[in-house]
Amino acid sequence: MNVAGQVVGGGIGDILVRQQSGSRLEVGDLLVSEEENSILILEVFGLQYGSQIDGRVQEMMSGVILEEEPPDAEFYEPNFVNYVMARVKALARVNRDLSVNLPKSLPAFFGKLRIISSEDLKFLQGGGRDRIFIGYIRSGSKVIRDAKVWLDARDIFTHHLLIPATTGRGKSNLVKCILYHLLDSSGVGALVLDAHNEYYGLNGEIGLSSHPDARNSLVYYTPTDPPPGSRHLTISLDTIRPDHFEGIVEFSDAQVRTMRKYYSDYRGEWISQIMLTDLSMLGEAESRRDAETRSITMAVLQQKIRQALDLEVDRENNVVVSRHNVFDSVRGGRTADDVVQNIEEGRVVVLDTSKLNDEAELVVGSIIATRILDHYREAKTRGILREKPVATIVIEEAPRVIGEEVLQSRTNNIYSTIAREGRKFKVGLTAVTQLSSVIPKAILANMNTKIILGNEMKMERMALIESASQDLSEDDRTIASLDRGEAIITSIFVPFALPIQIPHFEEIARQHPPPAPGTARVKVF
Amino acid sequence: MRFAHLADVHLGFQRQEPLQEIERRVFEGAVDRCIAEEVDFVLVCGDLFHVNIPDMRVQKMAMKKFHDMHDAGIPAYAVYGSHDFSPTSSSAIDLLEAAGYLRKVTVSSWVDDHIRLEYIQDERTGALIAGLSGLKAGRDMEYYERLDREFLESANGFRIFLFHGAVGEMMQDEISGESLPLSYMPRGLDYYAGGHLHTFRNRRFPGYENVVYPGTLFAGQTVDMEENARGMGRGFVMVDFGDKVERVRFVEAPGCRYELIDVDADGLASEEAAARIRGIADSIDADGKVVILKTYGELGSGRTADIDFSAIRKGLLQGGAYYVMIHRRGLTSKEYKTRGESMGTREEIERRTFQDSIADVRIKRAALTGSRGVDLSTDLLAALRHPRPDNEKKVDYERRVTADATSKMGLE
Repeated sequence: MNVAGQVVGGGIGDILVRQQSGSRLEVGDLLVSEEENSILILEVFGLQYGSQIDGRVQEMMSGVILEEEPPDAEFYEPNFVNYVMARVKALARVNRDLSVNLPKSLPAFFGKLRIISSEDLKFLQGGGRDRIFIGYIRSGSKVIRDAKVWLDARDIFTHHLLIPATTGRGKSNLVKCILYHLLDSSGVGALVLDAHNEYYGLNGEIGLSSHPDARNSLVYYTPTDPPPGSRHLTISLDTIRPDHFEGIVEFSDAQVRTMRKYYSDYRGEWISQIMLTDLSMLGEAESRRDAETRSITMAVLQQKIRQALDLEVDRENNVVVSRHNVFDSVRGGRTADDVVQNIEEGRVVVLDTSKLNDEAELVVGSIIATRILDHYREAKTRGILREKPVATIVIEEAPRVIGEEVLQSRTNNIYSTIAREGRKFKVGLTAVTQLSSVIPKAILANMNTKIILGNEMKMERMALIESASQDLSEDDRTIASLDRGEAIITSIFVPFALPIQIPHFEEIARQHPPPAPGTARVKVF
Repeated sequence: MRFAHLADVHLGFQRQEPLQEIERRVFEGAVDRCIAEEVDFVLVCGDLFHVNIPDMRVQKMAMKKFHDMHDAGIPAYAVYGSHDFSPTSSSAIDLLEAAGYLRKVTVSSWVDDHIRLEYIQDERTGALIAGLSGLKAGRDMEYYERLDREFLESANGFRIFLFHGAVGEMMQDEISGESLPLSYMPRGLDYYAGGHLHTFRNRRFPGYENVVYPGTLFAGQTVDMEENARGMGRGFVMVDFGDKVERVRFVEAPGCRYELIDVDADGLASEEAAARIRGIADSIDADGKVVILKTYGELGSGRTADIDFSAIRKGLLQGGAYYVMIHRRGLTSKEYKTRGESMGTREEIERRTFQDSIADVRIKRAALTGSRGVDLSTDLLAALRHPRPDNEKKVDYERRVTADATSKMGLE
């Protein structure tokens, strides 16, 4: 056995281990205590020096060395005298039959510990059709390539997934890796609001479109110049309802009443009718004051809708046009239905929302997410929910819709509804954020899988630690020191918080190159 | 210069003689109009025939009219549709081509693992015409994935692209199915002549001017008749052009007059439903019209058989109706329920049945699941449901049906 250290004290949750000289333990290292019929996996969460020499004497000796510079000054048998003490906690007990339990006992006193190997991690099941590869198990900064972490996609996406990290820690790479593996699964459909248009892979870049089955499993919508095989992101104004703005754009009661009235009177044309309303024609035959009030309400409403959806009014032709070609008064009547259908068939649908402002992006997502939830609710009522894949909505900067402030100041929006009750209908959120602390605790606790990347902000770490599915109370420093691509998975679907290394997306994509063209030449009729 | 654009004529779809007569009259009228307007050429964008080898009656009629066009010096350019496609080039389309009455424009070769389509140049106008046939089971998708778009885009002249398939961006209320992204088409051409969607539509998108479907001339599926009765205009398209498209004009093809009797019998006793239907039938002016009686819902009591549809039909015919269609598949009874959800046309019911069943299929091949699986199933059913025509030997029929079916599955 390649001994890394020996248990010398401590108690549950904080075991003291003396490091073997020559081994170099790191925070996050996984150690193993071999016991009868099982192994105990432990994790290093703290390191400190230990010495048999009194502290004052050490300081005095240091002074002698620094000031006198004596030649050949060294400790007598230094490995016995000075050493490193590791603070470790037990993570899991793996039984011979590969079942895993939470450990309720200590490792043997004076028991020797070794660094974990891939053999110890055989209980992590391999891939399957509806399992997605998240990364390799990591022991400190050492990556165990043979120990791959595959999670059941249906489970984790039904119960919401949170990906918290600050900029530059690898969020986008992780999302891309996850979506890439989702393309292999028909058990989960995903709606991705891609605010940076970074996932698809344009102009020869490696992206989701590089997946061998992208043709069947990936659908890409973009407002301008869609590459071959992808679709125009055009959404008919007819498909927007007043409730799609809920919790996204703030309207006064009077404005909401006006919107509802127009929707009731004009149905699909309500937005066009509002935008084309001539303010001077409002309030005829009413009192002057009422007319003024209505005119002001309408003017503000027009402005809010114009700004939210980036609309312009073409007075010459008396039509409403969209600055970014996404909203249209004629085309795009089926886009939302098509997207929903694709998701219900287990595909990943990427919407390039990079040209939309925040509100327009969220309204687009709201239209589609509302339909998805409606469809799934109906499926549950009809008893056919079992047949549907899990649906997940991938949203970046999630506090825009599920942040405490938003939810307090406005009405609920579809995203918060999904976060709260989507699980019952197999609809989940995949929320990407830098600021977990502003998400209400109730929602955060509902996100049953979190893939935590590095975060230097104490408040953010505390929010995550407090809402984690495993006890991470000793992992504050570990989270702070996670390097780019390093992460901790905490989930109700893993036996303990798994330290992982997320692979580079390019590495994953290169492992599964698309089939070479021209292997079979179809006959053209 | 001017050309006509037809698609989804579905000659041979009608099984009843009075409706076959309308089908013939509408088609002949459209061809005569093309001749009268002295079009320079005619585009046929798939599904000219409802099946690849229709009855001799249908073939004779088509041959005669294409002969007339030929005599008038009007060339026709065509692609197969999913209904009249033949993997062995034994469709009635091929018969017309062999006779010199039309040309298939799918002239292709493989260059560097891409499908290169050559333009055919219309002699009189110089227009460049290329296109791809409509296949199902995702096979035409493969054409588009490997199409050398740049080659088509780089040609100079007035360029037309023929296709048969549902472009996603053009779809409205169609039953969902596999659709073709517009981005698969070569960009910047002058006219995109489509077939497959049965209602007229004409749209433009950045890089794709004039994407046009003329729709069916009369009817190619049961629901078309009902839409006709609700006022849907049917016809074809005339396009005036010079260097660019100057005008796209929808030319309505006069079919017949309709009367639609729509009765929601949900919760009614069978006697009440019968009385309501009779009441409406007695009140309408059916003279010379195609009457479509559509009834649906779950009877509160009694049996569907209690409603004497034969007598209602008889009464309408006596009232001068040209033809009476009765759609009662959506009518069920509590007492004699056979299937939970049967409302809709035959196509809708078939499609829904496949959708319901396919949801239980756990298989990795995408072509067999989801909407693609449903498309394939409906296609396969369509390929297998047609009886042997009188003019075809049994061995030829078997060979053809087998080839059709295996081709639709992409197995040949």
